[in-house]
Amino acid sequence: MNAVAEQIRIRSLTELDVARIVAIDERLTGVYRPEVWERRIMYYLRRDPDACQVAEMGGKVVGFMLSDLRGGEFGLEETSGWVERFGVDPDFQGRSIGRRLFEAVVDHMKRQGATAMRTLVERSDSDLASFLRAVGFEDAPLTALEMRIG
Amino acid sequence: MNVEQTTLPKKYHDAVLHWQRHNFPDYGLLPENWQKYFPNDPEFCLCAKMEVGMGDKVEVGDAKGEKRREKPGELGEEPAKHLLAIIRAQASTEFGSIQQHEGTLARAQDDEDRFWVLRVMAEELRHGYQMFHLLVEQDWSGVSGQRAEEMVEEILSMQTGSHVLDAFNLEYDSFVDNVVFAAVIDRVGKYQLSMQRVCSYKPFAASMPPMLREEAVHLAAGVIPMRRWVQRAAQGNALITVSAIQKAFNKWMPRGLEMFGHEKGGESNIRFGFKNMKNAEAQSLYYEECKRMVSDLNQRFIRARLPKLSPEEAEALAERLRNDRSRHEGISHEDMIQLPDRGFFRRKGDAAFTMVGFAGETFTDVEEYVRHLAAHLPEPYLHSRDMKQYVESLRQVAAGTMTTEQAMKKMPALKRVGGMCPCSKSVRWVMEVAEESVPAVRSAN
Repeated sequence: MNAVAEQIRIRSLTELDVARIVAIDERLTGVYRPEVWERRIMYYLRRDPDACQVAEMGGKVVGFMLSDLRGGEFGLEETSGWVERFGVDPDFQGRSIGRRLFEAVVDHMKRQGATAMRTLVERSDSDLASFLRAVGFEDAPLTALEMRIG
Repeated sequence: MNVEQTTLPKKYHDAVLHWQRHNFPDYGLLPENWQKYFPNDPEFCLCAKMEVGMGDKVEVGDAKGEKRREKPGELGEEPAKHLLAIIRAQASTEFGSIQQHEGTLARAQDDEDRFWVLRVMAEELRHGYQMFHLLVEQDWSGVSGQRAEEMVEEILSMQTGSHVLDAFNLEYDSFVDNVVFAAVIDRVGKYQLSMQRVCSYKPFAASMPPMLREEAVHLAAGVIPMRRWVQRAAQGNALITVSAIQKAFNKWMPRGLEMFGHEKGGESNIRFGFKNMKNAEAQSLYYEECKRMVSDLNQRFIRARLPKLSPEEAEALAERLRNDRSRHEGISHEDMIQLPDRGFFRRKGDAAFTMVGFAGETFTDVEEYVRHLAAHLPEPYLHSRDMKQYVESLRQVAAGTMTTEQAMKKMPALKRVGGMCPCSKSVRWVMEVAEESVPAVRSAN
């Protein structure tokens, strides 16, 4: 284990992580949107706080992965862990933080009986797709479809 | 989740529901509105939940490495008495907080906030139920000298004012208390539950993970509404002010700090393998976490007023305002929430009746200190019986007619002080009459 890995602490999400998740999202997207994250964090805490993990360095949250255990969606009866949102502070990228977050989420999902991990990614987001393939995701037989109605 | 769910034997289950009808009448609103406020969440279940797969070995203390105990008789007399006191106190807090929340629940300005607190209350009911499961599942009579029915009755008889811990004996003044209590006092609960995960008594340890997962929502039901309130306050909403939130912090923080027990204590909990931290260590971590919560709230306020600032700039500005007691672009240091000093308004522990001010300053004149408290606490709370009793004790301690130890002991004891069930001249056992399906109430004795 290298020195950086030793300094990173992976733990379950808490309500006090909102401020740092808002800040990381702001750095990644350029948009300050606390209301959105307050609502989402409450949702994930209600569902299962241990299914969502954050990475801390020196007591500061530098990455997060929010996921949810579900079954029965889209005809997929098997219990699946859905990775829905994640981000790593740009100052801390390249240190395997995303991978460690993912491993912690997968460990938890396995203990909860999940047999697959699933996610959706925008076709244009090649960096994200590369990361997901690097941690083990493959093309799924499902195709995401949508229709604008408003 | 890897959880086993069980229900209490019928008479205890019915007794809890009977208590709920008198103390928690809004409970019925929850299932009616569950899908609106908690869509897709598993429905609430009034049951005991035991985590499956807890380790079999004692993790800390004298018996570290030995097999976890599964019956009270395996603990030894002194540890068993100690653990029983912890379980009873825990049960008291669960039922006590519902009684407190219920008084001001309907005053919430926002329905979403109200239903979040309503869910918190229902889950506290489940936590009390969980403690009853521990009390009635095994025979504690050799430890307590009481039958299970008597222990349950004793706890269900408690009212605000007769609970074990001081924090559960204070009335709420407004819905601000519902929210600040969830953020401040439930946070102590989180620490206690986390420490108790290691407990050498397996049924108690296995009770903790499901309670902790629910506690995470309780803390959010405090912190997230507060974040929205400070944002609205920053944007000019004068209904829930920073000052009101600050004063609520000043009311609850001292009681939260005292819930950890005396700063010099906690050795027995570790020796018996019940918890993994002493009181002072856990209390310090708690205080630091509360500081972080307040810092986040202050940043939320500043960003609402000055959205161009980065998070780091907002944090630096908050610190500068606090340290210099200054103003910047219309934001005053008084707009920033601050935690009271750890010694402020204490009645238990190292700082009990020491007259420490909000900022850590020391007072020597009682009446000056009382005026200081009056300036920092919510006005409706100043009119309370609790405040009157505290001030009377403080004056006696200052005059030398009462020792600090005597003043500290002037607290509710765990005894049958709550009186009868309001619907009956008897106690609250609900027994099904064989010939009828309508439940009746009769004495357990």
